[in-house]
Amino acid sequence: MIPDQIALDELERDALTEIVNIGVSRAASSLRKMVGDQVLLSVPSIEVVNQRRAARLISEREIVDLVAVRQDFSGPFSGRALLIFPETNSLELVRAVTGGELSAEEVVEMEHEALAETGNVILNGCLATMANMLKRSLTMTLPEVLRGTGATLFEIDQNSESEGLVLFLYIDFAVRQRDIRGYIAMLMDIPSLATLKELLDEFILRVVGEDG
Amino acid sequence: MADNTTSATAEELRGVLAAAGACGAWDWDIAGDTLIVDPRFAELYGLDPQDAGRALPTATFYQAIHAEDRARIRIAVAGLLAGAELFSKEFRVIAPNGAILWMHGRGQGHRDEDDNAVRFTGLLIDVTDRKRTEERLRVAQSAGGVGTFEYQDGFATVSVSSEFCRLLGFHPTDRLPVRTINAVLLDGESPLIPPDGETPASLDGEFRIHRSDDGAERWIARRGEVIQDGEAGGYRLLGVVYDVTEAKRQEARLRDLNDTLEQRVAEEIVERLRTEEALRQSQKMEAVGQLTGGIAHDFNNLLTIVSGSVEMASRRLDRSSDPRVARALDNAMRGVERAAALTQRLLAFSRRQPLDPRAVDAPRLLAGMSDLLTRTITESIAIAIDAPDDVWTIEADPHQLENAILNLGVNARDAMPRGGQLTISARNRTIAAGEATESHVPPGDYVAIAVADSGIGMAPETITKVFDPFFTTKEVGKGTGLGLSMVYGFVKQSGGAVDIVSTVDAGTTVTLLLARSSAAVEAIDDRQSDDEPQGSSSETLLVVEDDDDVRAYTVATLRELGYRVIEAHDGASALRLLERQEQGVQLLVTDVVMPAMSGSELAQAARALVPDLLVLYTSGYPRDAITRDGRLSPGVDLLAKPFTFKGLAIKVRELLDRA
Repeated sequence: MIPDQIALDELERDALTEIVNIGVSRAASSLRKMVGDQVLLSVPSIEVVNQRRAARLISEREIVDLVAVRQDFSGPFSGRALLIFPETNSLELVRAVTGGELSAEEVVEMEHEALAETGNVILNGCLATMANMLKRSLTMTLPEVLRGTGATLFEIDQNSESEGLVLFLYIDFAVRQRDIRGYIAMLMDIPSLATLKELLDEFILRVVGEDG
Repeated sequence: MADNTTSATAEELRGVLAAAGACGAWDWDIAGDTLIVDPRFAELYGLDPQDAGRALPTATFYQAIHAEDRARIRIAVAGLLAGAELFSKEFRVIAPNGAILWMHGRGQGHRDEDDNAVRFTGLLIDVTDRKRTEERLRVAQSAGGVGTFEYQDGFATVSVSSEFCRLLGFHPTDRLPVRTINAVLLDGESPLIPPDGETPASLDGEFRIHRSDDGAERWIARRGEVIQDGEAGGYRLLGVVYDVTEAKRQEARLRDLNDTLEQRVAEEIVERLRTEEALRQSQKMEAVGQLTGGIAHDFNNLLTIVSGSVEMASRRLDRSSDPRVARALDNAMRGVERAAALTQRLLAFSRRQPLDPRAVDAPRLLAGMSDLLTRTITESIAIAIDAPDDVWTIEADPHQLENAILNLGVNARDAMPRGGQLTISARNRTIAAGEATESHVPPGDYVAIAVADSGIGMAPETITKVFDPFFTTKEVGKGTGLGLSMVYGFVKQSGGAVDIVSTVDAGTTVTLLLARSSAAVEAIDDRQSDDEPQGSSSETLLVVEDDDDVRAYTVATLRELGYRVIEAHDGASALRLLERQEQGVQLLVTDVVMPAMSGSELAQAARALVPDLLVLYTSGYPRDAITRDGRLSPGVDLLAKPFTFKGLAIKVRELLDRA
């Protein structure tokens, strides 16, 4: 299902998880400064799946509609990054990052703005850290807010022969004692994933050295 | 003093940590690139106790970690050193005594004002026991195919194991929404996770699901416990699921097998009952036939004597002088005739009557019967005979066929007490080779003679019994119960078949199937002269009969007709008489069933002496002596007992004239 040249082994997955962890930690730190409150973010697991499976995987776990912040990135590896929440969690997140002082109407008004900004912080943190840790540079587009189901977010084209692959990261948020869960998905084509795998191997060699 | 205080505090802290299950603590100075560990950490890693609290090279952190886990931990630490916040990893540590211990390392990254990672602190906790338990649980789940779940009432999600996800066809995860789980169930199944607020009595149940990944229909069993959690009033469902599809399938197969077994046994029993019934029927027929045959022989001899004597008396009586005696003799004669007919019917249904089949033109036979039918059947019944001229010639004993049709006509009459329509028809019917017929006749050309009435009809149970001897629907005294069984016996003996179709209140149709004959129709001898044909004294007849009274009557009759008659009481004396006769004997009139030498043996021996000797058998019941397959052998003439004066006269004359 997943070609060999891009299938990540356990160590590569650990390395990518840690790199994204560094990224979301940076993002948490930035959010803390925005919110002035404790924000914890962690990435417990990562998977590489095809688009169809990603859509199914997310719809198995989330039964409500989804909200996503999307940013495209390009560089040695290119693709599209999505930060996805169940729709019910998005207002919670907005409330959390805006300090909980706002009325319900104001929250709804602010939602789009707040989501785009939060997504930008988190996705930027992740992608910038990845670029940094892998010693490459990436450029990113402006964030865009989307709503829909797993299938629409992953834009599954029934007619397309080759499917893109998805790096699927599960993230836990803890903001102001509120538990918010979400997902980071990075859609990449096979050449980009192959490049990413090579860069991860370089990173592992640097960190583990001959001990590995 | 200060030192004492510090060490006391360190000692207390150590106690607290030990109580918490901690096996050591560390403080990693990122900027200074040094590592400080506590005494338990030092002890676990097999360091010099003096090294606790001292600045050590950071590489120390990895030295006791199992080689297979080291790369993983190096990557995780690299993440922390580069700015990640949380460290939570499980790895193996090799203790100084060589024991492998599972440790859970939990740590936190610390940053300065400029967001630079400066310190990394954490605790090691021995989770070996938990790890073993988990391992056992994991093996138990995967090897046993058992998935676990835990649901706290009020929550929208359920904690599940990987095996649970696999069984239901989900991607492995540790938490699934209740709705996602319940969506795999087939329509109409109760939910796998019961709805909130309805504390289930038990978790035992079986469910049909469509597995989420491949859509396969599976059976899932659920077992577990409902745990009431204290005062809060809530409950937890702690249970397991496992796949029971195979067991269900086997159960179904077994049930199928069982069901069809019962069905097969039932069919077998029905078949056996049918065979037993057929056997019983044939045994009954055989028994009745034997009884009939035994009686018929002697009974017909007696009837011959009675009828002969009555006839003799009638002839000698001047009818005008004593009409009452004449009537009494007529009554006696009718009684004899009825008795003879009864014996004949008994022989017919047991298929033991000698048949004399000839080529018969059915339409002509039916036309000839119309007078008889009209006389027998009441005026309230309309009789129609429908037999086109192109109906084939059939092979049957014409007298018995007339008898059978008359019998059916009488039955039809009795079925229409308030009048109705009687139709007797004849049609050609060809039965093809592959054609399955209920009648079980061989393929070929047949003529179907149907007797249909518009009467009261019969129930199916009755139809199955109508051919039984002595079965009758008529009142006691009105029927012998031999009519239809005689018809059946006659048709079967003639190689045909009888079919009966009846609907209650709509009528009955009995159809006789008789084989087509290729022979030309013979003229039926219808000589109806009132006078008995006479003989002359130049014609010598030899009468052989073991019953003295019958012999006396036969001889007296023939002499009265003018013949010269000699007699013998058995075969041996008959042959002696033939040898001594200088004047030739033309006709041998012999009984068939006699002790010592039978009629046919006698005829054979007699023909050896007198080659052109004519033979006439007389018999009340010839058994198989002169018949083949129930039919008379060609060239054999038989006069059935009891015979009348006129019958004997005609038959003897016919034979003598034929020669």
